[in-house]
Parts: sequence; C-alpha cells; structure tokens
Amino acid sequence: MHAISYSHVMQGFPNFFCQPNLREDKLQPRDFHILFVPRRSLLCEQRLKEKGVLNSFTNIDEYILDLIPYDGDLLSMESESSFRECYLENDQTSLYHAAKGLMTLQALYGTIPQIFGKGECARHVANMMLRMKREFAGSQTQILPVFDTLLLLDRNVDLLTPLATQLTYEGLIDEIFGITNGYVKLPPEKFAQKKQGEGGKELPTEPKKLQLNSAEELYAEIRDKNFNAVGAALSKKAKIISAAFEERHNAKTVGEIKQFVSQLPHMQAARSSLANHTSIAELIKDITTSEDFFDSLTVEQEFMTGVDTDKVSTYIEDCIAQKDPLIKILRLVCMQSVCNNGLKQKVLDYYKKEILQTYGYKHILTLKNLERVGLLKPQSTMRNNYPTIRKTLKLWMEDANEQNPNDISYVYSGYAPLSVRLTQVLARPGWRSIEEVLKMLPGPHFEERQQVPTGLHKKRQPGENRTILVFFLGGVTYAEIAALRFLSNMEDSGTEYIIAATKLINGTSWIKSLMDSPEENLP
Amino acid sequence: MTWLWHSQKADEYLREIKEQSLLSEAVRQCVEAAGHEHEPETQKTLLRVSHTVYSFSLQAASFGKCFLSNFPPEQFVSMCRDLRVLNAVRDYTVGIPLSLTQFKQMTIQVLIDRLVYRKLYPLAIEVCCYLKTPEYQGVSRVLKHWACYKVQQKEESDEVIAKAVSVKLADAAGISYSEIATKAYESGRTELAIKLLEFEPRSGEQVPLLLKMKKSPLALSKAIESGDTDLVYTVVMYLKNELNRGDFFMMLRNQPVALSLYKQFCKHQEQDTLKDLFNQDDDHEELGNFYVKASYKEQRLEARIAHLQSAVDEYYKAKKEFSAKTTEDEMRLLRFQRKLEEEKGEQLVGFSLHDTMTTLLSVGLHKHVEQLYKDFRVPDKRFWWLRLKALAEKEDWEELEKFSKSKKSPIGYLPFVEVCIKHHNKYEARKYVSKVTLEQKVKAHLAVGDVEGAAEAAIERRNESEIGTVLSRCAATTDHLLVERLNRAKATVAKK
Repeated sequence: MHAISYSHVMQGFPNFFCQPNLREDKLQPRDFHILFVPRRSLLCEQRLKEKGVLNSFTNIDEYILDLIPYDGDLLSMESESSFRECYLENDQTSLYHAAKGLMTLQALYGTIPQIFGKGECARHVANMMLRMKREFAGSQTQILPVFDTLLLLDRNVDLLTPLATQLTYEGLIDEIFGITNGYVKLPPEKFAQKKQGEGGKELPTEPKKLQLNSAEELYAEIRDKNFNAVGAALSKKAKIISAAFEERHNAKTVGEIKQFVSQLPHMQAARSSLANHTSIAELIKDITTSEDFFDSLTVEQEFMTGVDTDKVSTYIEDCIAQKDPLIKILRLVCMQSVCNNGLKQKVLDYYKKEILQTYGYKHILTLKNLERVGLLKPQSTMRNNYPTIRKTLKLWMEDANEQNPNDISYVYSGYAPLSVRLTQVLARPGWRSIEEVLKMLPGPHFEERQQVPTGLHKKRQPGENRTILVFFLGGVTYAEIAALRFLSNMEDSGTEYIIAATKLINGTSWIKSLMDSPEENLP
Repeated sequence: MTWLWHSQKADEYLREIKEQSLLSEAVRQCVEAAGHEHEPETQKTLLRVSHTVYSFSLQAASFGKCFLSNFPPEQFVSMCRDLRVLNAVRDYTVGIPLSLTQFKQMTIQVLIDRLVYRKLYPLAIEVCCYLKTPEYQGVSRVLKHWACYKVQQKEESDEVIAKAVSVKLADAAGISYSEIATKAYESGRTELAIKLLEFEPRSGEQVPLLLKMKKSPLALSKAIESGDTDLVYTVVMYLKNELNRGDFFMMLRNQPVALSLYKQFCKHQEQDTLKDLFNQDDDHEELGNFYVKASYKEQRLEARIAHLQSAVDEYYKAKKEFSAKTTEDEMRLLRFQRKLEEEKGEQLVGFSLHDTMTTLLSVGLHKHVEQLYKDFRVPDKRFWWLRLKALAEKEDWEELEKFSKSKKSPIGYLPFVEVCIKHHNKYEARKYVSKVTLEQKVKAHLAVGDVEGAAEAAIERRNESEIGTVLSRCAATTDHLLVERLNRAKATVAKK
C-alpha cells in the first residue's frame, strides 16, 4: 500500500506508477491501491488517466489528514514546505488545507464565533473558511462552541523569532538534536544501561530514541522552563524520588509493604525518566557552556537590542573565516537584516561575497530565496521600524527572570517573541491599542464574526476561561509554544491557548526549507 | 361524559369496555379507524371520541383512578398530522387519493416527489414545513426542482428568471445551484446559467460547468477565488490543451496566481516552457537563475560555463550587478580549477574558493594560493584564518611559523595558540603566546595550560573577571599558593 503525499504531486510521481504495468505479466496478479493524503487530486487522476493506468487501480481513495494532535494543546499539519510555498513560490495550497482542517475542527468543536488575523495568508485562510461555511450551509451541527476566538498569524509578521536560538529545555533539544514527530534521537553513550554483574559491556551504537510529550510527568514539568532553571528542577525531583524510595524502610506491616510495592512501577518510571533527562540536560549543558555558544548568543542579543546592526559584524566575519556551519551564518546575517529592516548594499554585498567564496557559488540561489522572503534584503528607503515596534511592544525585557519568570521574555532570556506578544495584547487590552504598530507589520489585520446557531451561544461562567486557538501559518517554534503556555498558566489571565501550526520549526529546519541545492539535480 | 352522545346506550358500552380494561385498546382502535376514513367529518368524529376518552381518563387519573395507563399520545398527534396531509392531497384539485396504508408504504419522500413531478410546488413546500422535514430533503429539494422547471420557461427573460429564482431560494440552505444552472444551460440559456452559477458556493461544482460552457476565463477566476489549487491546476491544464500557446500565456498573465502555479508545474515537468514564460515577462533575473540551475546539470565544463555566461548576460540586463560579477568570478574560478586539475592532477572543479585554496595549501602550492588571494580579492583576515587552519591541519609547523612572521597578523596571535592546541601541539602553541595582545594574554596562557603565567598576567592587568577565570582553573590542592595570591589580588582590585 503506497500513500501519496500531496506535495509530491508535482514531482512527476504519476509516471512512476505506469511502470508496474509492464511487470504485471511476470508477477502474480496484485492489487494496487492509491490513498491520497491529505486530499484526492483531480490533477493526479487526470495524469493517470492520460497514461492509461487509472483503471489498473483497485481502489482510489483519500485519507484526510489535516491537523494532527501532537499534545493536549498542540496541533500541527507538519507541512514542511508550507512557508516556502506561500512566501517564495506564491502557491497557497497548504493554506487551503489549513482552512479545510479548521472546518473539520469546527465540525467537531463547534463554530468559532470570532476570527482575528494578521497577514496576507491569514486573510486568505479566513476568506476560505467563510466561503466553505456557505458551502455547508445546509448541514449545521448543533455543537456548543469550545473555542471563543481564532487568531490566524502569518509567519512573516514575525520573521525574527525563529532565527533566534531557543533557550527553553524543549527548544534547546530541538535546536541541538532535532525533534521529529514527537521523538528525539540522541547520542547513545550517555544512555548505556549499567547492568549489575556484567562487566565491560559494549556501548550501544544505535542512537537512543526517546518520545517527548506531556504524558511523561517530569518532561511536562520542565519542557517549557528556561534551561537555566532545569538543573534546580531536576535536583528537586531527585530528592523527591529518593525520599519515595526510602519509604520502604518505613513500611512495616504487610499492608504498608503491599502499598509500597504497588507504587514501585510508577516510582521506577519516574526514576528512569529522571535519568534520561539528567543525561539530556548534561548533553545540552556541554553546548550551552561553550564559549562559542556564549559568543553567538551575545551577538544575537546585540542585534535584537539594535546594537551595531548597520555594520558588518566582526563575529560573523570570523565565523565565516573559520568556515562555521553555513546555517549558523545564515541565521545570524538574516537576524541582522531583519533587525535593521534590510542591510546597506555594501554590507549585504560583503556578506554575500564572503558566503559564496567560502561555502560555494551554488548558494547564490539560496541567497536569492532569502531575499525574496524578506529575510536577507537590501535596505529600502523606508525607515527601520523595528526599534519602535520593540519599544511599544516591550520586546526586550532587561533582567528577565529565568527561574521564576513573570513575562514571556524568559523563553529567550530577555526577548519576548513578537508573535506571542501580539497574541497577548489581543486578549488584553485588544489590538486597537496598538493600531500604529500593527500597520508597521506586513499584511492586513482584520476581524470576522461567524454566526453561531441560536441557542448555542457560550455563556461563560464567572471565573471560566476564554479559549483562544492561535494558528501560525508558516511554522511555530517550541519557545513560542512555551510562551503561550506560560500565558495560559498565568493567574488572572482568563485565557487558555490552544496552538496550531502548519509545521513545528526551528531556525535551522526553517532556513533549510528555503535552501536550493542545484547539485541535487545532477543525473 | 356520556351526556355528549345523549345516549344511554353509549354509557352502557363504555361501562362494558371499562370493566374489561379495554379502554386503551378502544382508544387506539378509534384513532386507527380515523386514519382509514376518507371523509374528514368521520375522521374528526372518531378522533374526537378517542380524544375525549383520553382526556376523561387523564382527569380520572388525577383523582386516583387509572384507566388509560400506558397510552402514548404520540400516536394521536402523528395520526392527526398524517390525516391533514392526506386530506390535502386527496382534494380534487390535487387528485392523489392515497389510503393510509399506501401512504405509510410510500413514505413522505416519495409523496413529495409525486407532488413535485406534478409541479405542485407550493403544496409540496407546505407539506415539508408542516412535517418538519430537514431542509436538505425537504424544502431545498423542492425549490431546486421548481427552479429547474422555471429556467425552462421560454417566455421570461434571463434577468427576470434569475431574480425570481434568487429571491425564492435565498433563504434555503444547501441548494445545488449547479444543477439548476446545468438545466438552464441544457435549455440553451447560457447567460442565465452563468447568473445562477454565481450563487453556487461550491466551486468544485461551479468550475467544471463553466468549463463545459466554454467560459474559461470565468472558470479560472472562480477556481482561484476558491483557493483550491488542485482545481486551478485542472483548469490550467484544460486551457493548455484548448488554447494556442499565445492565448494561453496571455490568459496566465492576467491571473498571477495561476501563473505561479503553472510555473511550479513547469519547474518539475516542462523546464523549457519556464524559460519561455520568463522571456515573456522580461524577467531577466529569473532567466539568470534558470541558467545557473541548468549549468549544474551539465557534465562537461564548457557547457557549464556557457550556461553561466548566459546567466551573466541576463543578470546584467536585470541590473543585478552583484549577481553578474559573482557569476563571472565563478566562471574564472572554474577555468582556473580545470587548468590546475590538468597540470597537477588534484580534483578541484566545483569547489568553493575557500576549499580550492585549502586543497592547494595542503599540497604545498602556495604560489597559486597567493594568486587566488589577489585575483579574488580575499579579505586579509579570512586569508590568514584559512592559511592558519590549513597549515595546522597539515602539521606544517615550519611553514606556519614562517607565515606568522611574514607580517603583523590581522587576526592577532591568539588564534595561532588555539589552533595549535586543537591539533595537540602545545610546543608550537607556546611560541605564539608572547605575541598575543595584552587583552588576550590570560586566555593564551590558560589555553596552553600555563596557569601561573595566566595568574601573572591577570594580576598585572588588575582585571577582576580575568582573575576569577584563572581561579576557576586552579586545582585546589596543587595550586593553593597561587590561589592565595590570586585571592589577595582580587581583594585589592575590588577595593578600588
């Protein structure tokens, strides 16, 4: 059974299916089925018809897979090329699927009465949602709405956040090791199990694979903390688990012993979980305490606070000179460009020349892509609005408290993600208070209302929270998710956030999706 | 109650029924009997009887006497309802003399259909509303049939019909306008069909019909409006086959979304068409990019360079000076690499400038490296880093020292220390420690493991943080004298 993903439609896959025909005589009769994911494609079927193989398939169907739940408050379409398609190639297919996904969501959880949005893509998705609602006008479901508001945000409203190095525990795991589909693969050395009585055991060579989600108690506690606060949390947990194991000395009666034994599996799981995360934290610490990491972070924070964004950075120059990984360089120069609203032509050309001479001419296409999406571009005549935006929205908070945060800026140790700040202001006091700033950000901002069937209007009880669904069109980082969870957990916030996105990204995977490697086309 | 019939006989019957506890059965039979009667008067009488008995027994129940315990009132209500419908259709103006049994067998759906086929639309709608059929099966369906019929009426103009239909159907949900439009089209009324299609919210239905009616530009617009890119592709492919190239390109030009999607398609399927599209738009930069990509597909160097030359030309036309110059540089580099490959046998073609220079250094071709440094205007700092790393990699310490003395290092001498240490050569590293700037002295000493030297430097510089760094590197046991000295110095500095 082969499942065809929609993104491969254009890459000539229909031709691939014509070949089995030739072999059919030799093989035993087989049934071929096609399952289109996420949706049937007329174009594919047309192609297959043209090639004369459409009827050879026993079954042609679609498996509608739009939004995948990753956790209790997180949904993702896992559409890798969504940002590239929308902002580079002017192909808004993924937005159509996002709208369809939202319609499915509404069929299950009720019509969302209020839709806010910022950005061109957001506008497009909202238009499609309203249009699709008309299409289904005859079959309204009578479900009490769960969501109060939907907020659609274009990734290009906040290009800065994904470029910065995330500093939450989960964010760092993703930055360093990469989290895929809720799993992470780690170097096995630290996870070698020491079994008693076996000496000289070989170290495992397979990477250690761990699942990461909120079902694991310890992980749920520490995932969204700033990494500098994780050590304390782990040692506290170690004490609790130790104490729990010590309880066995206090169990005297058979009943008490029985109770202790019944708790054992849970305690052992907790201990194993603690061991895993202590190892991971050590691995991360090796990197975060390195001089290189510190220097890089310092430069990032200088850019974010507007220091020296208009000249060539000696640090970046030196990194290129030492041929540091290209992605690191690209993230830094793009960050400088975004914080400066474009670089002076001389500075830009200098960086480009250095990059091309060091890493190869072939990257000229990547640099052009980055310019097209606005990440690395020449300065225009328009003034740099970033300092104003930063001040008005308080994006830089000096002395962010990493241990006991009181503001979302803890996720980047001082920088509050613009996207989350916009969400925060929307909830309270509302976007009207930042009209001027909103106009400085790309794309329209809007509000729509959808009719909810009479009798189903949500009557909120005093003390009950509003539920807001925030949909990132183009990708969301774990740090932003942590920031939104922080807002949900804040006392007297009155709001609970559910997060959806076209993809879970980090700076590296994001920039990679914009790279063009022409050599791959060589036969 | 018995006085209703002014009959003593009735009273007797009733008592008999009561005694045999057959009251509920009696009521049920009355209701059923009413159903089978065709005369409304008789129906009413029978129903009144059962109703009266029922309410009497309810009254009695409130006094504690239970006569009709389990009689469900729904039977009564639904029978009344069914009878009303049946009476209406049995009317001579309608003329469908159904019996109750026939009605139950045939179901309401079929009855509505029958009414619709006889074009008795108002009645059908009333029945639907009265019986509370869901809109999809009921009112909407009827209205759709009515509309299909209406569009075939030749006497009225397109506008009038379109208006009439839109007004009547406005509030109903789930109407398939495309079916109505198809009917109109089949009757030869294309304009009317288009007007009606405007109301069809499902673009999946709208677009194929518009294509059938040969209204391709409109079909394309509607497909784009819907956001369903699969649909847009379908229309574009259809148009590609129907129109000649010129018209096809012109149509795409007017629809940027379709044009982008088509370009995507061409990228994977028809590269040459892409070139034509860029040419048509005078998009010289994209043409340049096209040639760059094409150059990588060539095996032979000459062909590759030829493509790059085309790219250069296009970039100049597009006024992209930087891209043009960079591409010219690449062509020059490739030629240089090929020449050297032939002369020296080192594989070089396709390397970046940096990698080329590193490779050449590793085989000792220093003169050529100098040549490249001048030709490509490599910044001094980068050149020094490159040489430093390449020579250390090769462990050519002699050459490294020679080069370090050639002139004042633009990158300072700390990198020399650190790179040597990285290659496990403390001896060489030490040679450069004395050359580092004052600010970097502490770091340099620590890099070669010379804690004492570092301490000296830190104390001399009276820098608190540097003293702290040195302290952190001291081993508590062996260096305790040093630690004391450092702590004293730190205290002194702190006081100031």
